[in-house]
Amino acid sequence: MRPRTLSGRYARTAYLFLTPAILFFAAFFYLPIGNVVATSFRTGPQADQWTGLGNYTQALADPAVRHSFLITVAFSVLVVIGSIVLGLGLALALDQPLKGRVAFRVLLLVPYLTSVAIVGLLWRNILDPELGVLNRVLGTLGLPEQQWLNTAPLLTIAAVTLWQNVGYTMVLFLAGLQGIPETYHEAAKIDGADAWHRFWRITLPLLAPTTLFVSVMAVISGLQAFGQAYIITNGGPGDATDLSVFHIFNVAFRARDFGYSSAQSVLLLIVIVAFTLVQLRAGRRGEVTY
Amino acid sequence: MRKALLYTLLVLASVITIVPLLYMLSLSLQTEAETLSADAVLVPDSPQWGNYAELFTRAPFGNFIVNSLVVAGAITLAHLVFDPLVGYVFAKFRFPLRNTLFVALLATLMVPFFVRMIPLYVLMANMGWLNTYQGLITPFLMDAFGIFLMRQFIQPIPDDLINAARIDGASELRIYRSVILPQTRPALAVLGLFTFVFQWNEFLWPLVATTTPEMRTIPVGLTLFNQEYFTLWHLTAAGSVILFVPTAVLFLFTQRYFVRGIALTGLR
Repeated sequence: MRPRTLSGRYARTAYLFLTPAILFFAAFFYLPIGNVVATSFRTGPQADQWTGLGNYTQALADPAVRHSFLITVAFSVLVVIGSIVLGLGLALALDQPLKGRVAFRVLLLVPYLTSVAIVGLLWRNILDPELGVLNRVLGTLGLPEQQWLNTAPLLTIAAVTLWQNVGYTMVLFLAGLQGIPETYHEAAKIDGADAWHRFWRITLPLLAPTTLFVSVMAVISGLQAFGQAYIITNGGPGDATDLSVFHIFNVAFRARDFGYSSAQSVLLLIVIVAFTLVQLRAGRRGEVTY
Repeated sequence: MRKALLYTLLVLASVITIVPLLYMLSLSLQTEAETLSADAVLVPDSPQWGNYAELFTRAPFGNFIVNSLVVAGAITLAHLVFDPLVGYVFAKFRFPLRNTLFVALLATLMVPFFVRMIPLYVLMANMGWLNTYQGLITPFLMDAFGIFLMRQFIQPIPDDLINAARIDGASELRIYRSVILPQTRPALAVLGLFTFVFQWNEFLWPLVATTTPEMRTIPVGLTLFNQEYFTLWHLTAAGSVILFVPTAVLFLFTQRYFVRGIALTGLR
């Protein structure tokens, strides 16, 4: 322990330096979280009538809420699988001693720097059944034209999301791959393991922490997707891409029902937090066995 | 043989990522008729550079640009001021409730933005801060990610350096400014870069917190083009190019930091 006077002085300095942060996080994180929970128990246009768990029982029984939640989960699953398969595939390719590695890495990362507004608008144009350039290209190749946003809307916006984000997961996997010591692979080579074997028995298990991190991040961002539904499909056709946050946004700002939308926010938050904790725990257990 | 396959794969992937962005550039230089042609023009007959000027006459696009610069710039500056300071405190000071406060800070990482969206909207409406810069800026002045990044970076700086400065009679603020801050430059570069790019591209909060066209940022302004002005693709694309170019240029010069930043922190 330090002498009391000194530690007392430094404690004061610490708190002095921390004051803006404490005020900021109280006002813009903890107060809003308290408010969203408080509002979730209220109803009416001013959200001033107490309804207890009314919003929650209503939300859990509401087919529209259930539907939007289920498709949001489906969307996240698509994004996670795509992120892992494509991100890992590209990272494995770029982990080889190839010329132009840096250039490829840069090119693949570019869409990650664009706003969801750009991505949404651009792909809405490209995918348009009448004036979209993609159908034009398919026609030139002698392939049938597609109504992407009508036949497979959820899959299509998931693919667009992957187009934007795969460079990011690729970089994470590349970092993970570079953390695996060369000697492991060399030893396995001497023991006669072929490339396929080395991938399954060495690379993949040692990448487990990276894979876990990538999947947690992809699920969390997938469950919060908004711009894709807002810009590309406006939730449609019908309610096919009515993703949860888009649904909450509409209930709050178009239907002006803050109580009901707050309850849905809290429910989605609970799912996200529970999911994150389970995954992180599973990850910790997984690491022990390797 | 195997190499050829790898190159094919990588070239194909790069084409898929880059060609749509080149198409955006092409769209931005087409006439309105070309953008609406069922034959999907790939290369415009004669580039319509005037589209970029038209942006400013058909919408308050100058406002969009200024708003984006002010908002993303102010938030980035705030992060660069606050995140290292708070990170320093958690890295080098012992004080009552230190661990509790640190856990409370990290817990905010688990709170996605949509959870704060409705109460923040109500708060801003009550304060009369909708359609104002302070309304767009204040919810993002600091974040736990940046603080955590800075703490990790400051922790290895030897305590002796700080104590020596104390013995020399330097004030605590002076120690922070002259001893700690100069050593954190690479981390500050990464932090500033990420903060600016993400805030520049931010969509949901500016959409919620602004209703007048004059207060929109570029990303939200772009979608206005689509709804209120009925899908003017040549202008939408031109606006997208203007939104994209600054981040692309910034990235070209800093891509090494960028890649390392993602790899180190997983920053999103």
